[in-house]
Amino acid sequence: MKNSNTDESSSKTSNRRDFLKYFLTTGLIGFAASIFYPLFSYLKPPRQNEVEVSSVMAGKIDDFVPDSGKIIKFGSKPVILIRLKDKSFRAFSATCTHLACTVQFKSDQGLIWCACHNGKYDLNGRNISGPPPRPLTEYNVFPKGKEIYISKNS
Amino acid sequence: MKKFIVAFLFISGSITFVLAQTKDECYNCHSELGGQPAELFKNDVHFQNGLSCADCHGGNNKTDDMDAGMSKEAGFKGVPKGNDISEVCAKCHTSSEKMKSFGAKIPTNQFELLKTSVHGKLSINGKDRIVQCITCHGAHGIVKVTDPRSPVYPLNIPRTCSNCHSNSVFMRNYNPGLPIDQYEKYRTSVHGILNGKGDPKPAQCVSCHGSHGILETSNLNSSVYAVNIPKTCSNCHSNKEYMKKYNIPTDQYEKYSKSVHGIALLQKNDTGAPACNSCHGNHAATPPGISSISKVCGTCHALNAELFSSSPHKEVFDKNKYPECETCHSNHLIITATDKLLGVSKDAVCSRCHTPEKNPEGYKVAKKMKSLIDSLENAQKYANSLIDNAEQKGMEVEDEKFELRDAHQALLEAKTAVHSFNEKKFDDIVVGKGLAVTSKVAKEAQASIDDYYFRRKGLAVALTITILLALGLYMFIKRLEKKQNKE
Amino acid sequence: MKKLLQNFYKWIDDRLQVKGLVDYMGKKYVPVHRHTIWYYFGGVSLFFFIIQVITGILLLFYYKGSSDLAFESVKFIMSKVQFGWLVRSIHGWAANLFILSIFIHMFSVYFEKAYRYPRELTWLTGVLMFFMALGFGFSGYLLPWNELSFFATRVGSDIFGVIPIIGEPLKEFIRGGSDVTGATLSRLFGFHVALFPGIFTILLGLHLILIQRQGISEPLHYKNEKEIKNKKKMPFFPNFMLRDLLLWLIVLNLLAILAVYFPAELGHKADPFSSAPAGIKPEWYFLFMFQSLKYLPPHIFIVDGEVVGILLFGIAGLLWLLVPFWDRKSPKGERNRLINYLGIFAVMFIIILTILGWLS
Repeated sequence: MKNSNTDESSSKTSNRRDFLKYFLTTGLIGFAASIFYPLFSYLKPPRQNEVEVSSVMAGKIDDFVPDSGKIIKFGSKPVILIRLKDKSFRAFSATCTHLACTVQFKSDQGLIWCACHNGKYDLNGRNISGPPPRPLTEYNVFPKGKEIYISKNS
Repeated sequence: MKKFIVAFLFISGSITFVLAQTKDECYNCHSELGGQPAELFKNDVHFQNGLSCADCHGGNNKTDDMDAGMSKEAGFKGVPKGNDISEVCAKCHTSSEKMKSFGAKIPTNQFELLKTSVHGKLSINGKDRIVQCITCHGAHGIVKVTDPRSPVYPLNIPRTCSNCHSNSVFMRNYNPGLPIDQYEKYRTSVHGILNGKGDPKPAQCVSCHGSHGILETSNLNSSVYAVNIPKTCSNCHSNKEYMKKYNIPTDQYEKYSKSVHGIALLQKNDTGAPACNSCHGNHAATPPGISSISKVCGTCHALNAELFSSSPHKEVFDKNKYPECETCHSNHLIITATDKLLGVSKDAVCSRCHTPEKNPEGYKVAKKMKSLIDSLENAQKYANSLIDNAEQKGMEVEDEKFELRDAHQALLEAKTAVHSFNEKKFDDIVVGKGLAVTSKVAKEAQASIDDYYFRRKGLAVALTITILLALGLYMFIKRLEKKQNKE
Repeated sequence: MKKLLQNFYKWIDDRLQVKGLVDYMGKKYVPVHRHTIWYYFGGVSLFFFIIQVITGILLLFYYKGSSDLAFESVKFIMSKVQFGWLVRSIHGWAANLFILSIFIHMFSVYFEKAYRYPRELTWLTGVLMFFMALGFGFSGYLLPWNELSFFATRVGSDIFGVIPIIGEPLKEFIRGGSDVTGATLSRLFGFHVALFPGIFTILLGLHLILIQRQGISEPLHYKNEKEIKNKKKMPFFPNFMLRDLLLWLIVLNLLAILAVYFPAELGHKADPFSSAPAGIKPEWYFLFMFQSLKYLPPHIFIVDGEVVGILLFGIAGLLWLLVPFWDRKSPKGERNRLINYLGIFAVMFIIILTILGWLS
């Protein structure tokens, strides 16, 4: 009689033991996942690799027509990349020094122009006409293989 | 009897002659010899105050012996050349006692001022000043400044200055880039026309440039340095008494100093801002005509002027003699143009001419433009507030801020585009560019904020798992200890 | 699974003879009594330290320690690195909770007189670790290079200069110059991630070995207790350890909640030429000292008020460190009322002045 009782109770406890072990194991796995998922996401390099953008790939050299300009995003700032008639490149900050509008390249006048208040800069970034009080900061432009890169002027 | 009279006459005449002669032997001889100096000196204010040739030239004016009178021992200097000339004048004219002794109330700082002025610089001979006292005042026939015969009497000054300043060959020696048309221009100006008609009150060269202490216009201390020009003009133009007979307002300086231009120039010392001469001209000073006001304002405000000139307003304004830009923006008291100027409300300038009954086309356009600009302002504010909200929550919104620059640009361009008074053009900028950007940015910023709240949901999931695990562990411990206690 | 672990254990034991050690550790027990709950704070402090090391190393992957990039790199971590905000916020909260937990652990050990013979060295290493924890807090606080941390560091290092004779050279040593600059940042960064962790690990290792070797301190009344059944205890492995782990899980939850609902702030980048923001004060664990210095008169006899304050704190700290050596009663098993009163005074002093400092 006694044996059957202990057999019964021991099987009950063994069931409970298995359930608890099963529960604990699942819990541990879930817990590990909730730790490792953020951990691995953290270690994966973010889209913008470095803290401060020091150089940017602007595009393929052949995509830039001579005597034209294009606005490129450099980190959080706009940069105007100009390809001159002689096929060389220049790059300047595209934020007008007057009231922060975005400048554009005017091929018919051969200069950089701001649509907001008619400010004009020459192809060296110098403010030559209108309200802008300061010239545009120049950026470095250099080719790498078939692509053109813009970097900060040190 | 006759002999007595002749003798008396002869004696008195010769006594007079002798007396007259002993006053200034130099003058006696030289006036007998003829020649300009003595002729001119007759009318000279110095001669009339008892001074003689020797007071400037040195020598002994009491002897009629030429060699004795003009000897080196007697201190004769001959004709002073170059800087010596002005030294001679300065000997008396810098001394206030000397001036007082002649009862002259004139200043005594002329020489000091000349020395530090632009005229006091070295001339091309490398030894002397460019200008000496006699250059402007003359040498022998010097009369008071208030005397109409003086070369520096107001009516004569322009011609005196132009003797050098309109001479291109002379001016080339010093500053080939300096214009030489000032005198010509002056004669077309209101000041010059009145001056030519014999009115000594309007401004001539000295009124603005000064007389002795003339400095380059680029010199900060010059009365015609950009920042100082409004004050210089207001010396006459704000003086009600002085301007009484001309019947023009005298509040321009007061108004100007409260305007955007005035504050920029006078308080912020921004020499890019216009002074009186920028709009009125300096030597050819004249207020711009009705149909040329937009051209004048347009020398800086090019885009607005261009748009205005090609808009329907130009013809209408000119026909009705409305002073173009000034009609809405005023001339001297120009304040920052806010959006309040636009639209059909009471404060708006459009409503002065445009009502639903009068000029209804324009009324519609004005109303539409105002509502568009308002909606763009509001959309920009809303997008900005979402961005701030997201940023406060620690979310990354640099990209959104970058894109919102376009909205800022659209707003600035819109405010210029108003001057075209063309609905379609306005629409393209404000709606096509501005509102498109703001709605995109607002959506992205909102997504950032949503992400922030999503994190909390992620937390809830992780917490649930951990709590379940903790519960399981607790039960495990309890069971373990129960087993241990049984043993 | 069990077979695998057993085989692994046998393999290690074969080469390193760890069986003796494992058996010894298996006999370790923890007294169970009214104040058992305080025993957990040692483990909780250890847990926080481990969290700091892990999150600290993770932050090192992206943090840049030069004055022109420090702020930007923290901003980068907060906004561009996935879960960067979580790692940084946990690091910030765990720092505060670490120091709080150490305070509680230290005071509970003090009141239990657990520092008495034979555990004097454990107490010494512990108090030294406490000072180091404050050093960790001070050096780490500057690393984001924002307005708050810049000026807090300036004010804090100014106080070092008040110490007589060695104060000025010490201040210059901490600052890497006469003022707080990028050199200070480099220096404190080096302290925070290399020097202090190194020294702390050694102290911690000693502290833990001592505890394992000597066992958990029994309360004073156990000495006089004759009845074995009143001297309850539980085995360290697995009971106490599992309970400890449970507590660690709950604490980890708490950290996550704090990190999400109260994320770490960044503010503005430090500008050495701007003026200090109004009401600048140090972190809460320095507040009581900062506030009490404010209450001292400018001069006490011929000496500067501040100098007197610093010296008093120095003396108090020294006495605290050396308490096992001047408390004669506790090793004998006697109640030491003086120690208790001094302890209560210290706790009240710290709490009241911290509150006053917070409110001002």
